[in-house]
Amino acid sequence: MIRRAAAIVGIGQTAYGKALPSSAWELALEAVLAACADAGVDVAEVDGMCRFTAPFETVTEAQLVRGLGIRELSWFTQAAHGGEALGAVVLHAAAAVSAGLASTVVVYRALSQSRGGRFGRADGRGPGGGGPDGGQPEGGQPEGDIVVPEQDNLSFAWPFGLMSPGQLFALWARRYAAVHGLSDEDLTVALGTIAVTQRRYANGNPDAMMRSRTMSLDDYRAARVISEPLRLFDLCLENDGACAFVVTTADRARALRPDPVYVLSATQTISPYREPMGIYAGGELLELFPPAAADRLFAQAGVGRADIDVAEFYDATSYMPLRSLESYGFVPDGRAWRYVTEQGTGPGSPLPVNTHGGHLSEAYLHGMNGILEAVRQLRGTAANQVPDAEVALVGAPAGSATILAR
Amino acid sequence: MAVVPGMSELTAPFWEAARAGRLVVQECQSCRQSWHPPLPRCPHCHAAGLGWRPVSGEGTVYTYTVVRHPTHHAFADEVPYVVALVALAEGPRLVTALLGVAPDEVRVGQPVRAVFRDVAAGVALPYFEPDAGRAAAQRGSLGGLWPAR
Repeated sequence: MIRRAAAIVGIGQTAYGKALPSSAWELALEAVLAACADAGVDVAEVDGMCRFTAPFETVTEAQLVRGLGIRELSWFTQAAHGGEALGAVVLHAAAAVSAGLASTVVVYRALSQSRGGRFGRADGRGPGGGGPDGGQPEGGQPEGDIVVPEQDNLSFAWPFGLMSPGQLFALWARRYAAVHGLSDEDLTVALGTIAVTQRRYANGNPDAMMRSRTMSLDDYRAARVISEPLRLFDLCLENDGACAFVVTTADRARALRPDPVYVLSATQTISPYREPMGIYAGGELLELFPPAAADRLFAQAGVGRADIDVAEFYDATSYMPLRSLESYGFVPDGRAWRYVTEQGTGPGSPLPVNTHGGHLSEAYLHGMNGILEAVRQLRGTAANQVPDAEVALVGAPAGSATILAR
Repeated sequence: MAVVPGMSELTAPFWEAARAGRLVVQECQSCRQSWHPPLPRCPHCHAAGLGWRPVSGEGTVYTYTVVRHPTHHAFADEVPYVVALVALAEGPRLVTALLGVAPDEVRVGQPVRAVFRDVAAGVALPYFEPDAGRAAAQRGSLGGLWPAR
């Protein structure tokens, strides 16, 4: 049990934007320094690190230790599975400090899609290109056929043109609409309402890339279709930037600052055919985050659904927060599409969601900016502050989640 | 230019069968369970003795997406194209693309059957197209205009 054994005491981030002048390494250094300064700890004292996330994070622990003059790490790890690791990194860091393996753990994510390849393009990544963040292939596009290696089942997906996250998540959204009997218009209104709500939050967040660009439901509808049923604004931003946070023991946290954010619980989940970014050859596609995992998350936290004041759901696409309302047990299965239009997730709603604007409208940092937003909400310092927020849930549509509290 | 599957000892039998116009899934020689994609051992009884079983090629659309914006240069001239997860009549699902159907006529639950197309020298992929006979039977069973067969 890690309940209230560890706390987040510092958060740091860079500016978010398209084609920032800094490399991912420079961005990582800036975010880690900012997080340590916020925590009031000397960066040289950092003795643990969690790299977020294999295989996407190109900046190594070694680069940070060397680049920041950190004396020695006694514990370091990395979490797998991209954005689905956003609760896992909290779990790993909290477990490490609780077990005494390290006392000051930094979790970081640095991303330069302008230099390292865009997630929305398949031909800069993977087979025929570089690594996951590997940039465009040298010497232009290769001649001849592209042979897809048998890795993560890509060889069973890429030859048919299923190559990018947005295409995969479109399959999820279509399945949801079919199972629950939504018309195309029902789905459009539900997903569009989420996108518009998050854009409004971003308009109130000075750090958001979309801070000055408003969007109506008509604007949303008018955007081009990328992969049906998903339109342009159902998909997250592509950008550069970095986030970091500092985790330490609860005792030390209280000595460092008056408002530590405690980890109430965090859990991971993987089971057959629920592999992140898999090809979903079995099981029910709508149950990527199993009900038992959500129940475990709440039981270990010792809180109920009604205790959650604000939720930050991983949103590579607008479908994810929609379904997360159901899979974490806030709304019955098959009802979230009505809930988001009737109750909504904006200011004053029963459960404000993605109050920073999310990946759709603040920036894409693989879930890390959602963790930072939850910390700000619980400190009472968020740009779109939920009044008296005491407990927050940060969750992915599969893989992992965490519950935090002040 | 085509995007073709790399083959290993584990996966080659699937693609070699496809080249011969046959759809196969892995099957446990002990407990006779089958699944897709292939695994090193049976996940049910953990036997190592595995074979390949021909399947009917009949399936239904489990979910799909109409790709209108290509994310890879190899598919730039293919849009719009329909990627689908198809549930085989025998149980396992696979990723495929649908042929012979207008994008706005694809439906979840639609009966489809396997067809094979060469995409490169010595490489054929299993695609799926609407199965008109089974679709008619399905309409009949749902009380439509056509009697069930």
